[in-house]
Amino acid sequence: MNITAILMFFVFVALTLAITWWAALRTHTRADFYAAGKNIGGLQNGLAIAGDFMSAATFLGISALVYSAGMDGMLFVLGGTLGWAVILLLVAERLRNLGKYTFSDVVAFRLERGSVRTMSAVGALAVAIPYLLAQMVGAGALIQILFGMPYAVAVVIVGVLMTLYVTFGGMIATTWVQTIKAVLLLTGGTIMGFGVMSLMGFDFGSLITAAVNTHPQGQAIMAPGVMFNDTITIISIGLAFVFGTAGLPHVLMRFFTVPDARQARRSVAYAIGFIGYFQSLIFIIGLGAIVYVSKNPEFLAADGSLIGGSNMSAVHLSKIIGGDLFLGFISAVAFATILAVVSGLTLSAAAAVSHDLYANVIRHGNSDEKTELRISRITTLVIGLATMALSILLEGENVAVLALIALAIAASVNFPVLFLSMYWSRFTTRGALAGGYAGLAVSLLLVMLGPTVWVSMLGFERPIYPYAYPTLFAMLANFILAYWFSVTDKSHRAFAEVESFDAQWIQSEIGPTQKT
Amino acid sequence: MLSQVDKEILKSDDFRKLVTVRRWVSWSLLLVLLGLYLAFGLLSVYSPGCLARPVFQDGVVPVGVAMGYMILALTFIFMLVYVWIANGFFEPLEQKIIAGLER
Repeated sequence: MNITAILMFFVFVALTLAITWWAALRTHTRADFYAAGKNIGGLQNGLAIAGDFMSAATFLGISALVYSAGMDGMLFVLGGTLGWAVILLLVAERLRNLGKYTFSDVVAFRLERGSVRTMSAVGALAVAIPYLLAQMVGAGALIQILFGMPYAVAVVIVGVLMTLYVTFGGMIATTWVQTIKAVLLLTGGTIMGFGVMSLMGFDFGSLITAAVNTHPQGQAIMAPGVMFNDTITIISIGLAFVFGTAGLPHVLMRFFTVPDARQARRSVAYAIGFIGYFQSLIFIIGLGAIVYVSKNPEFLAADGSLIGGSNMSAVHLSKIIGGDLFLGFISAVAFATILAVVSGLTLSAAAAVSHDLYANVIRHGNSDEKTELRISRITTLVIGLATMALSILLEGENVAVLALIALAIAASVNFPVLFLSMYWSRFTTRGALAGGYAGLAVSLLLVMLGPTVWVSMLGFERPIYPYAYPTLFAMLANFILAYWFSVTDKSHRAFAEVESFDAQWIQSEIGPTQKT
Repeated sequence: MLSQVDKEILKSDDFRKLVTVRRWVSWSLLLVLLGLYLAFGLLSVYSPGCLARPVFQDGVVPVGVAMGYMILALTFIFMLVYVWIANGFFEPLEQKIIAGLER
C-alpha cells in the first residue's frame, strides 16, 4: 500500500468527477454528447488524442518489450508514432470535412446507409469491445499490484468511474479526463526519462553499455531478432500499428470534437509532437529498467523473476528515480491512464450503437434527439456492467488475444473501408461489404488458428497458421475483395455511387460549403 | 447528379492545383516515412548485423537505435513541413475557392 498513490488517485477521481458534474450540466444535444459541442481547440484535442491513444499498454507494455528484447522494441516505438503520420497526411482533415460524429458517417457518405453502416458499426464494436476488455483485465491486475486491492474491486472501480464519466459527461467529460491524464503521463514520462539520463550522466552511450552489460542476453539486445525474426510477423506488426491506428474508432471520433478541418490538422500535429516525444522516452525508460531494475534484489521474487512480471519494469524503475513519492505518482498515473482510455472506448462503442445502428440504420436518419441520447446512455450502462462482469470472469486469463484481435480488425476492417471510401471513386456498397466482412472473417480465423489461441488456449501442439499476427493477410483480403466486388458491380446503385464521388471529393477537399 | 457549382469547382484551376499539390505532398512525405520503417523491418530480418553495427567505429550506439530515433525525428519534421505548407498554401487556396463560390 502506497499512501501517496492512494492520495493522488483520490485527488484525480475527485477532480474528474467534479468535471463530469460540470460537463453533465452542459450536455444537452447529440453534438455535446458525441463531440463535446464541436468546440475543442487544436491544442487541447491534441492532448486528448494523446491521452486517448497512449494506453497502459503503450507505457508499460512497450517499455516492458524494450526491457526484455531491446532493439526489437523499436519496431513498436516507431509503429506507434508512424500511425499518426498516416492520420495527419491522409485521414484527419478529410474525416472532419465529411463526417459528423463517427467514422461510419464517412464510410456511408455515398454508399447505402443501412448495410454499410451496419458493417462499419460492427467493425467499430469489434475493435472497441475486445480492446476495452483487454484494458480492463490488464487494469485489474495492475491495480491489484500497485494498490494492493483485490482484482474484482479494482475492476469495479474502473468500470463504475468509466460509466459515470461517459453516461453523464459524454464527450466533454471524456475529453477532460483524457487531457488531464495526458499531462500527467507526459510529466511522469519526462521525469523518468530524464531521471535515467541523469543517472547516466546524460550520456546515451553509457546507458547502452550499461544495459548490454546487465541484460542476460548481453550484446544481442542491441541487435534485432531477440523476439521477432520473420518477415511476415514484422510486416504484420508494422501494418497493424501504421494503419490500425487510423482504424481505431475512439481515436477517429476525437476528430469530430473540433470546429473544422484546420483544427483537426492542428490536433494531429500536436498529437504527433506529444506521442513521438513520449515514444522516444519509452525506449530510454526500457533500457533504464534493464540497468536499474533487472538485477535489483528489491524487485525480484524468490525465483529471480521480476515481481509483477515484465510489465511492472517501468513502475519499479520509478521507485529508483524518485522513491516512494514518485512511485505513488506513477501508480496513480497508470490508473488515470486506464480510466482515460476505457472512457474513450466506451463512448465510441456507445456511439456505434446509438448513432450508427439506432439513429441511422433503424430510424433511417430521422431519430428523435432525446431518444437517441437515452439509447446511448443505456448502451454505456450496459457496456459498463457487461465489461465489469466479463473482466471478473476473465481474471488471470491471457487477454493478449483480445488486444491482438482489436488491432487486427482496426487495420484490416475499418482502415481499408474508410480509406477506399475517401479516395477511390469506383468503391461501391457491394465492394465495401465484401471487403469489410472478409477482413473481419480472415482476422478472426487467423487469430483462432494461430499460436495465441490454437496452441496457448486450446492446447494443440502446432498452430495451423504459424504467425501470431493476422494483419498482412486480413488486410490483403479486404483490399482484394473490395476491389473485385466494386469493379464488377454493374448495378444501378453502384453507378449512382460512383457518380456521387465527385461531390464527396469536393467536400473532402474544401469542407462543407453553403451552395446557393 | 453533380450540381452546376460543383462542376465549376471541379474544372477550376485552383481546385485542380489544390488537389494535385496536396496529393503529391502527402504521399511523398508518407512514402518516405513508411519506406524507412519497412527498411528497418526488412533489415532486422535479412541483415541484422547491419543494424547491430555501431554508428561510429568505436562508439556503442548501434545503427538500428540511431535509425529509430532518426525516423522519429523525421516524422516530427515532416509534420511541421506539412502544417507549414497547409497553412501557407492549401488554406489560402481553399479560401479562394470558397470565396469564388459566394460570388
